[in-house]
Formats: sequence, C-alpha cells, structure tokens
Amino acid sequence: MRSWTRGFGTESEGASTAPSEASPKIAAAEPPLGARRLGARRRATRPWWVEVWVRMLAGKPLGAVGGAIVLVMLLAAVLADWITPYGFAQTSLRERFIVVSRAHWLGTDELGRDLLTRLVYGARISLYVGFGAIAIGSVLATAIGVVSGYLGGRFDLLVQRAVDAWMAFPPLLLLLSIMSLLGPSVWNITIVLGVAFGIQNSRVVRGVALLVKEHTFVESARALGAGHLRTALTHILPNVVPTIIVVATTGLSTVILTEASLSFLGLGVPPPYPTWGGMLSLAGLDHMYRAPWLAIWPAVALSLAVFGFNMLGDALRDLLDPRLKGG
Amino acid sequence: MKRYVARRLLLTVPTLFLVSVMVFALMRFMPGDVATRMVEGHAYAPTLQALRHDLGLDRPVHVQYLDWIGGIVLRGDFGSSYWTRQPILDEFSRRFPVTLELALLTILVSVVLGVVIGIVSAARQDSASDYLGRVLAILALSVPYFGLAVLVVVLPSIYFKWTPVWTYTAFTVDPVENLKIMLVPALVFGVTRAGPVMRIMRSALLDVLRQDYIRTAWSKGLAERPIILRHALKNAMIPVISLIGLQMPLYIGGSVIIESIFRLPGVGLFFFEALTRLDYPVVQSVNLIIAAMVVGLNLLIDLSYAFLDPRIRY
Repeated sequence: MRSWTRGFGTESEGASTAPSEASPKIAAAEPPLGARRLGARRRATRPWWVEVWVRMLAGKPLGAVGGAIVLVMLLAAVLADWITPYGFAQTSLRERFIVVSRAHWLGTDELGRDLLTRLVYGARISLYVGFGAIAIGSVLATAIGVVSGYLGGRFDLLVQRAVDAWMAFPPLLLLLSIMSLLGPSVWNITIVLGVAFGIQNSRVVRGVALLVKEHTFVESARALGAGHLRTALTHILPNVVPTIIVVATTGLSTVILTEASLSFLGLGVPPPYPTWGGMLSLAGLDHMYRAPWLAIWPAVALSLAVFGFNMLGDALRDLLDPRLKGG
Repeated sequence: MKRYVARRLLLTVPTLFLVSVMVFALMRFMPGDVATRMVEGHAYAPTLQALRHDLGLDRPVHVQYLDWIGGIVLRGDFGSSYWTRQPILDEFSRRFPVTLELALLTILVSVVLGVVIGIVSAARQDSASDYLGRVLAILALSVPYFGLAVLVVVLPSIYFKWTPVWTYTAFTVDPVENLKIMLVPALVFGVTRAGPVMRIMRSALLDVLRQDYIRTAWSKGLAERPIILRHALKNAMIPVISLIGLQMPLYIGGSVIIESIFRLPGVGLFFFEALTRLDYPVVQSVNLIIAAMVVGLNLLIDLSYAFLDPRIRY
C-alpha cells in the first residue's frame, strides 16, 4: 500500500520490552481520512465510510455489534427529549415500585420515576461526559505529547517526571480527591476526567512524536527553513493524529466506566441528573432489596455500553492500525 | 544488576517528591475548607480563627508543606487526622492488612481464572472452548465490578435469603470467619479483573507457542502438557505479570468501592471517609503512602523480569 502522509510510511516500533513503559502497540499508521482520497481513486463505487463499515461487518462482527450498540446509545441520547414520555425527575407517588407495566416498560423507582426514561437520559449524561472528557483529553495529550517529544532534552525530562508522578497514583484515588474538593458537577467531572485522560495518554503520543521526529522529511523541512512551530504543526501533528484517534476510541469505555464509579460514590454527576452509576449507588440500596430491577437495569445498561465501546474501539484499532491486523 | 537497582531506587526519589508536592498542592489550592466545616458541624473550637491556628492552617503554605514532609522523612510521622486527632500511620497500619488481603485474594482469583482459561484458549485455538473463554473474557471486561457487587449483595438476599457477612473478623482472630467475609468481595472483584489477564495470557502463549524452541520441544517428542506448562508458560507469564503490576493501582482504587459496598474496614474506606470530611492530612498521607507502594511494586516487578527471563539483563 502506498503511503501518502508526506512520505511517511507505516513505522514499526516493535513490541517494546521496556517494562516500566506501558507499551500499547500503536504505530503512526495510515490516517483513516486519507482513505477518502485513496478510495476515490481506487474504487469509485463506495464512499470511504461505507467501505469501513463493510470491512468491519465482514472481518469484525463483534465490532459491528459494538457499533450498533453505540449507535443506539447515541440515538437515545440525542432523541431523549422526544422518545421518552416522562421527565427524568418526574415523580408519581401513586406508581411507586412497579416491576413492569405497559406505561412503564422497565418499571419505576421509589419515587415513581420511570426507569427507562432515566436510563435513556443516563445515556445522554454518560456520552456527554465521555465525549467531552475524551475531547479535552485528546487535545491535552496531543499538546503535551507533541511538545514534549518534539522539544526533547531537559524540558522533556521534566515533563515526563511529572507524568510519572501523576501515574504513580491509583487513578480512582486521585480523581476522588480532586472531585471531593471541587464538588460534584457535570462540568467538573468532565474536565477532571479529561485532564486525567490527557496526562495518561500524552506518553503514547510522545512516543509517536519521538519516532516521527527522526524522519528525514522533518529534517528537510527544517533545512528548508521551517520554524519549530511550523514543523511541529504541519509535519509532526498530522502523523500523530491516527494514534490519537485510536487512543480516544479505546479510551471511551474507560472514561464512561470511571464516571460511573465516581457517580456511584456520589462524587461524579450530582442528582437530580440520572446517571447509571448514581442509580446503582448505595444510597438506594434499601430500595433495591424491595425492587431489584432498580439495580439490574442500570447495571445492564452500563455493561452494554462498556461492551459496545470496547468492541468498537478494538475493531477500529485493528482497522486503523494495519500493523496489528489479525494480531 | 546492582547498578541498575541503585539507579532505579535513586530515580524514585524525584518521583515521590513530585507526588508529594502534587498531592499537597491539590489539597491546598482547591476550594473547600475543612475548618469551616468542622466549626459548622461540631464545636471543635470556639472560633474559626482559633481552629485554624490550632490546626496550623494559618501558617504559610510552604511551611505547612515542609512540616508535613519533614515529619515523614525525619521522624516517620505522617501527621494526624484533623477530626479524630489519631496518628494516621497507626490507623493506616491497622487497616492495611484488610486491603492487602482483599488485593491478594483478588489477584489470586483473577490470575487463577485468567491463566487457566487463557492456557486452555491458547492450546485449543479456535475450538469451542477457545470461543467460550474469549466470550467470558469479554463479559468480564464489560460488567463493571461495582454493578456486579451490588447485584451480589441484593439479588441472593431476595431470592435465596442469603446475605454476605457484614461484621468483619480479623484473619488473626478467626481465619475461617475472615475468609468467609473476604471470599465474596474477592470473587466479585477478581472475576471482573480476570478478563484482561485471560486475554493477555492467551495472546502471549499463542505468541510463544509459535517460537522455534517450542517446535524443537515438539520434535524431540515431548508431550503437550510439559511443553505448555514447563517450556511455554514461563515465558508467556511475563506480560501477565507486567499487566498485574500495571493494574495494581486499579486494585487499590477499586478497594475504595468494594470496601464501601461490603463494609470492610480497610484503607479504602478510611480514605473515602476522610475525603468526605475534607480531612487533608489523611488524604495526603494515604495518597502518598499508596503512591510510594505503587512505585516500589513497579520496581520489584521490573526486577522480577530478570529472574523470569534470563535473556533480560540490566
């Protein structure tokens, strides 16, 4: 396959045996968007995004299932206001603890709130926090990783020791500490999760940036008089993007799960917003003994979402990263 | 080897220093004031000012930091809780065995399950049992452990009239009672953590089984069992061990949730209670102790590679 990213072919870094560094086998690979250009020339029949889905269904059925789950979740989140007959905080004391009925498909809770409605809105919160955090985190990871990797030297050493220090904490303890001080809110948790994700993954981006930096096209750009900023932005950055896409898609499930565990402990998204983690939390334990479906459905929803994002992420990684294909 | 160990040990010093600065800065520069809350909730002191002075919160920040870190480095004194005035180290060491036992049992469960299923999956690649194992691993990866824990607490008590044991008994007092308590939390946590172990085990073993020395073993007529268990497994265990090392922070972080669900009086619960009361010294010191443990453990794991794989030299 020909390479189109400024003469930079797929670079194999090999499985690193250095144990102290988490070695996600990610190499700067073909950018998925590039497929548009290539696809047009190679086969005029299918647009590139149809091609991706066809390839995925054929080669990665689990990934396609995951994609379908994610799609349903996305639709539910976007259309929540239209597809739910109740409000997420709408109580009805006459209809408490219904197991299942025509009006309430998944039953109601201790305040007579419709569980399905709350789960649908829960999907919205999960995705909102998930995508928000990933967006913040990807930008941060790219900024730290590219700058640290490109500049190198003492600056890199300093930044990397700080990243080391951050990674020495069990993530949940650190996030809990920060959230307890900031106070639970949708904004706070999104930003905190984003920053955590960014710092953690800056190391992966830095690794790729270090590899890209050594290529001759960077050297020639410098020789032609390009400044550091220009070199970093137009030559390093585009080659790091595929890695970021892979890291972001595989990171989504972790971020959603972390949000759920923080909300579970009451330090994530505060009530009255319905979140899957919050609905499972110990605060409602007494009601769960009376109405076990209050625990079952949020757990199922969360598991399905994590499953969906995991499978989709794995499949996308395999598709976007040819080096790992079939591995 | 000796030089490598010395260098690694030396490198942990700046890391731990940064860790301590980070956790201290976090606690001080963020909103939320413990003194206000203490005066509001209980009459710990007549006035806010008096309480601040009493706790030493009216001193400059760098003095507070030096006082805290100096106490740790020079006297091994990790400070005391603002609320109970008890030394943190005492409370920590009283509760640490609970968390350690939970973590070890969890690792045991996840490694036994993950390694056994992983070996079967790899040895019978693409067979029915391989697919079953892989499906189980995906399930384990998808189900959040706290969701499973809540279901394990709630459902059996409704349908089988069985509840987990809530009153904690120390292992030294009554080992059988203790294991009865720890078994369910460790199983719940361990089962969900077995997924990644199984996946790594399977792919590592598949990798090793394709190597030349395994072909040699086959061609000299060895049976399958010794080939897999004696020749292949040892090399394939390296990624598994590094995975467990990388996941150690997750086990400790998870103990906050598991301990609060199963009411185990461990470090996780101690930490969480301190958090909700903004008990800075406890949060700081527990974070620091645990971070130090994680750093130390990673060092030990790096060194263990040399013993597992004689090709690795430092």
